[in-house]
Amino acid sequence: MAVSWLGRLAARAPVPVYPLLGIGGERALYPLALAGRVTRVDSPRHASVLLVAGHVPVHHHEALKRVHDQLPRPFATLWFRSQPLPGLENARRVDDPATLTDELVALHRELQTGQRGSSPRLLPDEPPNPWEGLGDDGHGGEGMMGGTPYGRPMAMNMQDDIRDGLTLDSLTFRLGPFYPLLPPGLAAEITLQGDVIQSWTNQSPAYPRALDAVFQTARERPVAIAELELARARHHLRHLYRALRLAGLEGLGLKALRLARELTPASHLDGLRRQLTRAGFFRLAALDGGALDAETARRLGGPAARAAGIDTDRRSDDAHYRRLGFRPALGRGGDTRARWHQKLAEIEQSLALAGRAVDEGDLTTVGPGGLETPCGPWRERPAQDAGGCLEALLPGMEWDSALATIASLDLAEGSASPPPGEAHAEEPQ
Amino acid sequence: MELLTLLAVLLIALGAGLALQWPALRRQPLPGYSQRAPFLGGGTPDSHAWNRYHIRYYPMTLLLIAFEMEMMFMYPWAVVFVEKGLMAVMEMGMFLAILSVGIVYAWREGVFKWQ
Amino acid sequence: MMAWAAMVLTFLALAVGGYAVAVADRLIAGACGWPHQGNAWLAPLARGAWLYRQDANVTEAPDRPAWRLAPALYLALAALGLALVPWSPTLVVADLATGVVLWGSLEALATVAIFLHGWSANAPLALIGGYRYVALGLSYILVSMFVLIGVVLPAESLKFSQVVAAQEELWNVVRQPLGLPLFLIVGLGLTFWGPLNLADSTDLAGGTASEVSGPPRLVWEIARVAMLVAFSGIAATAFLGGWLGPWLPGPLWLALKMLAVLLALAWLGRVLPRLAPERCVTLMWVVLLPLSFVDLIWAGLEAL
Repeated sequence: MAVSWLGRLAARAPVPVYPLLGIGGERALYPLALAGRVTRVDSPRHASVLLVAGHVPVHHHEALKRVHDQLPRPFATLWFRSQPLPGLENARRVDDPATLTDELVALHRELQTGQRGSSPRLLPDEPPNPWEGLGDDGHGGEGMMGGTPYGRPMAMNMQDDIRDGLTLDSLTFRLGPFYPLLPPGLAAEITLQGDVIQSWTNQSPAYPRALDAVFQTARERPVAIAELELARARHHLRHLYRALRLAGLEGLGLKALRLARELTPASHLDGLRRQLTRAGFFRLAALDGGALDAETARRLGGPAARAAGIDTDRRSDDAHYRRLGFRPALGRGGDTRARWHQKLAEIEQSLALAGRAVDEGDLTTVGPGGLETPCGPWRERPAQDAGGCLEALLPGMEWDSALATIASLDLAEGSASPPPGEAHAEEPQ
Repeated sequence: MELLTLLAVLLIALGAGLALQWPALRRQPLPGYSQRAPFLGGGTPDSHAWNRYHIRYYPMTLLLIAFEMEMMFMYPWAVVFVEKGLMAVMEMGMFLAILSVGIVYAWREGVFKWQ
Repeated sequence: MMAWAAMVLTFLALAVGGYAVAVADRLIAGACGWPHQGNAWLAPLARGAWLYRQDANVTEAPDRPAWRLAPALYLALAALGLALVPWSPTLVVADLATGVVLWGSLEALATVAIFLHGWSANAPLALIGGYRYVALGLSYILVSMFVLIGVVLPAESLKFSQVVAAQEELWNVVRQPLGLPLFLIVGLGLTFWGPLNLADSTDLAGGTASEVSGPPRLVWEIARVAMLVAFSGIAATAFLGGWLGPWLPGPLWLALKMLAVLLALAWLGRVLPRLAPERCVTLMWVVLLPLSFVDLIWAGLEAL
């Protein structure tokens, strides 16, 4: 009796959702962040519903199962434009973003009122290494540090610390592909001493992120500059949301998302920029470091390159952009802070361009040719593993500035075509 | 008497904190290994997390000890401060000035940086 | 007899105050741009019910006694802290001659409890959160002590009731203008709230709490808001004249002042970004600690 009363109360709680993002899954994320009644959590331990959004490639199914199994009971799964894994026949699938929140709330309520059982475990209940009854004391250990006590070896010192040369123990683990503070799909093997990164080896690149369709169209025929520039600003604002959430300024991040949702040529960034400065984002948050060398910056292109002072922007080649008085905004330093100053400047520039293009009678681009996407010049094929620069950039950085650096880079982008798997995910199953 | 009431407060609060966890811990079986693995966004660790951790702020902890010792003298000083008058201000002012020089020196040496 | 009445009042204040923090935090979040999460008055209770019903997570080889003890210990420290706060000249659980010293030791033990919470899970992200918090805990404690000794000087006593009595003419918030702002920063650190949330931070997917679920997490969250309440009680006593005030009875005045401090902390928690740990340590030692020296000298000269 008491339990059912508690359950009914629990059913009315804001639903804690762990979003696990596959290819194109961010489409679900932004409306979800702005929806009431659900809270986005960063650890599966804190979630009642696992939302798998977008197609998850087969080689990541094992990782998906691992995260799935880490939710404490009772929990449910919701699959947004994604095929539930075998073994989860009872799971629910939705394809319409408009019903996403309702489905999440309904699932949580069903769980709490006992109408739905918890999702089953997918992986076998086995220790990482056998230990029971083994070793000197029956706990798998051998000698002082050897063996696998309780299933895992103890951490050992492998090498001198790269910062102060002390040789203490290093922790090696693989992070991702579904760590919520990394771009979806990005997985890496990381070695830490303390909270300083000793080595970072990418294991899988970030999933390609679909750009707005207007960038695809712009390659084929002239499109309205206003539309193109608004799409660019929207892209940057969403990027800003992800970084602000990491920096502990989720409220301002949500403002950026709202601005992105309601963007018009008359929108302006002044309010958001003022609030960011007042809150001390540029002074207090972990924005030091992450400076790209000229060669890497050039290879990444786009705002990352311009933040390092490299004058590269295909829009300069377009006569109509020049007529609007376009000149690439350039930053200095090329570090994380410079990249955010650059992004804000480019959002403002895009909004100004959109406004001026409308005033000039809805000016269009000159025509197909070089196209500057929000993350750099248009490339026929996605840049080969843009995340490769992390391996040289991150060692020696502290955990929080490393994550802030990753958040300031557009590692996922590089493709204006629908990414592979997207078409598959769109099919009704 | 006062210490006894404080002890009662301590025991009640500690007991409440444990009691809230107790029934829940008793009724549930030990979760399986697949749930118990540490959360790394789908990744796995090589080893247990416990290790000889590299604390990056160890010089700062040494500096702290100097100040903590100084706190011991400050409590009695604070109580007799008004009685002793300007003399006490001078004494503590000098003491703090010397310590401040220490902080400036430590700052210059990069003690507050992550080593 | 008065002590028992005060004890009931203390636990009542912890419960009501904790609930008020949770509600206020939601209302402030709504005002700062978060989407509305339904009824702000019901949501904390519903969330508590959900946490109580969720399974408690266990990691592969945790230090289980310590892991379960840490939230309860943190809660007990909060209760002890609030027990030192006088509600009126006589209505107080324990008006120790060394009250200020005991509060200082509670702050130091809080660092231990939070570290224990992160360490005992035996998981990488929680461990980093725990060690990171220690850097903060060792840095704010000195600021806190100097600022509190500043309020002891005019009172000539380490008793909190004397500290209040000494503010009869003028509250310490006016007399020692640096004191309360510095102490509020200490409060953010003590409860790892908002900009000083280095222990349970986003970049660590929840830090020390990242592996915790169910009832232990419920206790952890209750303990955290309880600590906010206890801190606001001490802040109101030390700087805002405690029970002093016209017309209303003393305990009510104290409650109102605590609420004001709580609202200020909840608001600060929502509008500031999280500090980088290294920058945080430098800020505490190089800027705030010298400022607290200035506060102490100021308080001393003013008290003579």
